[in-house]
Amino acid sequence: MSDTAYPDAPRIDAHDKVRGALRYAADEARPGMSHAALATATVARGTVLRIDLAAARAVPGVRLVLTHEELAGLKQPGFLMGGGYGFQSIQPVTSSRIAYRGQPIALVAADSPEAAAEGARLVRAEYASEPHQVTLDAPEVDIVAQADSPLPKPMFADVTAGEADTAYAAAAIRITAEFRHPPQHQNPIEMLSTVAEWRDGHLTVHEGTQNAEAIRHGLARQLGIEPARITVRSPSAGGGFGQKNSLQAHTVLAAEAARRLERPVKLVVSRAQIFHDSSFRPASRHRIRLGADAAGRMQALIHETDSQTSRHDFFPTQYTELSARLYGIASFRGRERLVRTDVQTPGYMRAPYEHPAAFAVECCVDELAYRLGQDPVALRLANDTTTDPITGQPYSSRHLAECLRRGAARFGWDRRSMEPGSMRAGDGSLIGWGVAIGAYKAATAAAIAKLRLSADGAVTFSVGGHEMGQGIRTAISAVLVRRLGVEPGRITLEIGSTGTTPQHLTAGSWGTATTIPAAEEACDTLLRALEALPSRPSPAERLRAAGRPHLEVEVSRCAPGQPDAVMGRLTSGLPAAIGPAYPGYVSFSHVAHFVEVRVEPATRRIRVPRVVSVADCGRVISPRTAASQLRGGVVWGIGAALREVSEVDPRYGGFLNADLAEYVLPVHADIGTIDVEFVDEPDPQLNGAGVKGLGEVAMVGVAPAIANAVHHATGRRLRELPIRVENLL
Amino acid sequence: MRPFAYARAETEAAAIRAVSAGGPGTRFLAGGTTLYDLMKVGAEAPERLVDINALPGLASFDTGGRRELVFGAGARMSDVAADPRLVAEYPVLSDALWKAASQQLRNMASLGGNLLQRTRCAYFRGGEPFTCNKRAPGSGCAARDGIDRGHAVLGGSEACIATYPGDWAVALVALDAVVDVAGPNGARTIPMEALHREPGATPEVETSLARDEMILRIRVPATQLGRASTYHKIRDRESYAFALASAAVALRMEGEVVREARVALGGLATRPWRARDAERGLVGQRLTAEAARAAGDAALRGAQPGHHNSFRIELGARTVADALMIARQRA
Ligand SMILES: Cc1cc2nc3c(=O)[nH]c(=O)nc-3n(C[C@H](O)[C@H](O)[C@H](O)COP(=O)(O)OP(=O)(O)OC[C@H]3O[C@@H](n4cnc5c(N)ncnc54)[C@H](O)[C@@H]3O)c2cc1C
Ligand code: SF4
Repeated sequence: MSDTAYPDAPRIDAHDKVRGALRYAADEARPGMSHAALATATVARGTVLRIDLAAARAVPGVRLVLTHEELAGLKQPGFLMGGGYGFQSIQPVTSSRIAYRGQPIALVAADSPEAAAEGARLVRAEYASEPHQVTLDAPEVDIVAQADSPLPKPMFADVTAGEADTAYAAAAIRITAEFRHPPQHQNPIEMLSTVAEWRDGHLTVHEGTQNAEAIRHGLARQLGIEPARITVRSPSAGGGFGQKNSLQAHTVLAAEAARRLERPVKLVVSRAQIFHDSSFRPASRHRIRLGADAAGRMQALIHETDSQTSRHDFFPTQYTELSARLYGIASFRGRERLVRTDVQTPGYMRAPYEHPAAFAVECCVDELAYRLGQDPVALRLANDTTTDPITGQPYSSRHLAECLRRGAARFGWDRRSMEPGSMRAGDGSLIGWGVAIGAYKAATAAAIAKLRLSADGAVTFSVGGHEMGQGIRTAISAVLVRRLGVEPGRITLEIGSTGTTPQHLTAGSWGTATTIPAAEEACDTLLRALEALPSRPSPAERLRAAGRPHLEVEVSRCAPGQPDAVMGRLTSGLPAAIGPAYPGYVSFSHVAHFVEVRVEPATRRIRVPRVVSVADCGRVISPRTAASQLRGGVVWGIGAALREVSEVDPRYGGFLNADLAEYVLPVHADIGTIDVEFVDEPDPQLNGAGVKGLGEVAMVGVAPAIANAVHHATGRRLRELPIRVENLL
Repeated sequence: MRPFAYARAETEAAAIRAVSAGGPGTRFLAGGTTLYDLMKVGAEAPERLVDINALPGLASFDTGGRRELVFGAGARMSDVAADPRLVAEYPVLSDALWKAASQQLRNMASLGGNLLQRTRCAYFRGGEPFTCNKRAPGSGCAARDGIDRGHAVLGGSEACIATYPGDWAVALVALDAVVDVAGPNGARTIPMEALHREPGATPEVETSLARDEMILRIRVPATQLGRASTYHKIRDRESYAFALASAAVALRMEGEVVREARVALGGLATRPWRARDAERGLVGQRLTAEAARAAGDAALRGAQPGHHNSFRIELGARTVADALMIARQRA
């Protein structure tokens, strides 16, 4: 176990980033490369009757136009949650069916990006439209109970414990409320971009991704070739947030165009198209019933959800996996339903279930505190637990109370007056202070790692992991520096690109808890092997003394409780992660957020001048990038709570505000101080490094803390996000 | 994007000649921040662009004149916004520029081009499959029964309810600015308030400029009103967003009493909107919170809500009231 804290160390790719030296997929350029663009459907559901390509083909520089007539032979990728590789099961441009507005209907490749875009614009299609439904409230919309769906059980069975309905009916205090969350889109700065290149029958794909191995195996399936003939390179991705966690729809189109043109093809999906061409956070609705006794002991929680999915896939939800575990509530009943709509399949956007679930539950907990006249922090502390209410197993570690206590002290919570509207700033603004907690499963994936030490002191390490900006390279380096005494500048990390070790999906906050234990184990193995060599002060000197040019070790690591067979999934690009339930214990990361809002007296703008967040993510390996993750999660929470909504016009389907000017992400001027702290206690069970996860939990609970602060400022309970000026006028 | 020809003009006369002779598909190009954007979304498809950025003197401006302030149409928003005299003596003008767009855009964008920016209506920008009378006259207006949260509550018509999105023009309208333009048939001066048109039955016609008329400069009469002024802008985030509601306000006070008032609205109407009723109601009044609120109500009188934008009527009235109180503090 890492029994001492890690020192603050700079982000190892910081200088390269600032200098623009890091290369992203779209930076790749090749002599003779063609550029591709997509034409997309303008109807929300139907069939393409005819496509007229004459005008597109006539654009000077256009070399190739592909439609479903040419691409009908491409195989479907399979859905990530159904044993496949794609973010959705269907591959656009392989049939005349249109499942959603914005679905690609043709690819145009040309000598320049401009000619390709112009060609794509000139693709004319005639459609037979069919009636469509795109909102949770659409008339006669098809709603499917997840428990009755074909989704695998018990993973997607309803979560229950005790007798929630009886306990709720008998509770002295009952809170019931409905919450709504809009669809939202990730919008990482790096667009979906692919450069595809064939050489001697081998395909190389450059694409920023969180899951290079799925792209490789998915493309192999789609193209009908051996995975060994495909290399996927993603040394750095410009943000992922779940959007890049599987095989995208455009990738095979670029690969196929490159094959046919016998030249490299670059396809950068435009920002507007990304709103329709990759996954997003689905709209959801949450009905909460929370029962407590007169002293404030929570006794029953019922959480019923309706969440948007596509018509072609069941994107499963696990909202209640989180809501059941925020507190030690003995009786819980969850029921999750999926609402089938004519959109691309939604997916995992940062804290996909946990953020909306925590919003719903934590607003109700605040309401309970007000019903009881109890301090919201005290109420939460009083309902904490050390045992998982669903499995009855202990938590491997749970420092939630510590997060709340430290956060309250840092924030100055004791100066808060309970009464809504009782605190005012000098300019007349209403001040509101709110608190909420969050949790996120501490998952772990299987991994294979290779570590090589050279006699000149250089270290090369490869493991399944992707750098999306979260800092995984910095964290892995920190361990190699500590264990091998090597300078950061002598470390080469081979991650994100297929070929050396399986590049498993990096998501679900399992990146650190997967790669760090593997790195530790590889170091252990290497150091043990070195013991056979002559004793010298440093590992490299031992190698030299033994006359060995280098030493290489390989380790394979299953997560706790995983069968060895999981290695087969790992090497074939399928998800191979487990958690939060491990044999004998349950693991979660925790966080507490304290938020100050100020509400303008007349025009009611909501500002967030100050946030204090304290997280329990086990041992912090890279303090600097961890702090950055936590702050970033808070910024995401501010965006989700006060700004972001992907607008839907039911008449047309698709998303309306599909650009960065109109999809209102927070900007720097929206962000005040975000003061972060870590408990930094290693988890004693999950892995030797004591690491849990951070990237997702960082966001969980920010939105309810804001909503609770708005209530404290104004006395208004607002249960639909985003909360905007019109809700407070 | 469709292919287009690009030429850089060396003189005013040559620029006008080139645009005039080039026919309907020829346009002036200044900073390009609006025009290129609209070309990318397909809302504009010029065949020829005549770049006016090199024209001598077009980017100059003079805020020190005794009778008037003069702004060349080519002056960059960022340069003008930072002018110390403007900041001190005409905060309404400086604020309106500072609070627009982003620093990067302001560095590129010209004052003349700013006046001629087009609506942010998503149906207009989106193109197919949306109906839009501005983009395809006679096709209908998708916004009317659609997501109209940002659409106009003042000055709309059956055909179009698109909001005029700019800020600078609103401040100029409040200060009685005029615009000097020149075309193939000579020069003329247009009151700022007459530059933009309400949509009526022809929403595709947005201004009273002929296609080949070039904006040379904007002139603002020097006025005492400048000091006690503000541009108050309420938006969905603190920067880089268009107004949900904004108010350009300028006052001449005698003690507590308003002697002269200017009120114009942004973000709420189909064109920069001067609120003369509000101004008249204020003159001779003590500027109390109630009087300011009454002015706000007067400014929004006659507003027509759609489906999702009715809150902006109340917001507009409050924005005007707050703006008046901010301006008063500067008197
Ligand atoms: C994302 C985004 C956010 C924005 N936010 C705001 C905001 O909050 N508030 C705001 O006010 N503005 C905002 N803007 C608009 C911005 O201010 C304008 O794009 C800019 O001022 C236009 O100036 P330009 O020089 O780039 O014009 P151009 O794009 O070069 O030209 C615009 C139009 O004016 C014509 N034109 C230009 N100069 C002349 C001239 N001298 N005579 C005749 N015709 C001419 C062109 O032919 C063209 O039709 C935003 C723009 C973007 C892209
Ligand atoms: S409001 Fe005007 S610009 Fe918008 S869709 Fe209607 S006609 Fe077009």
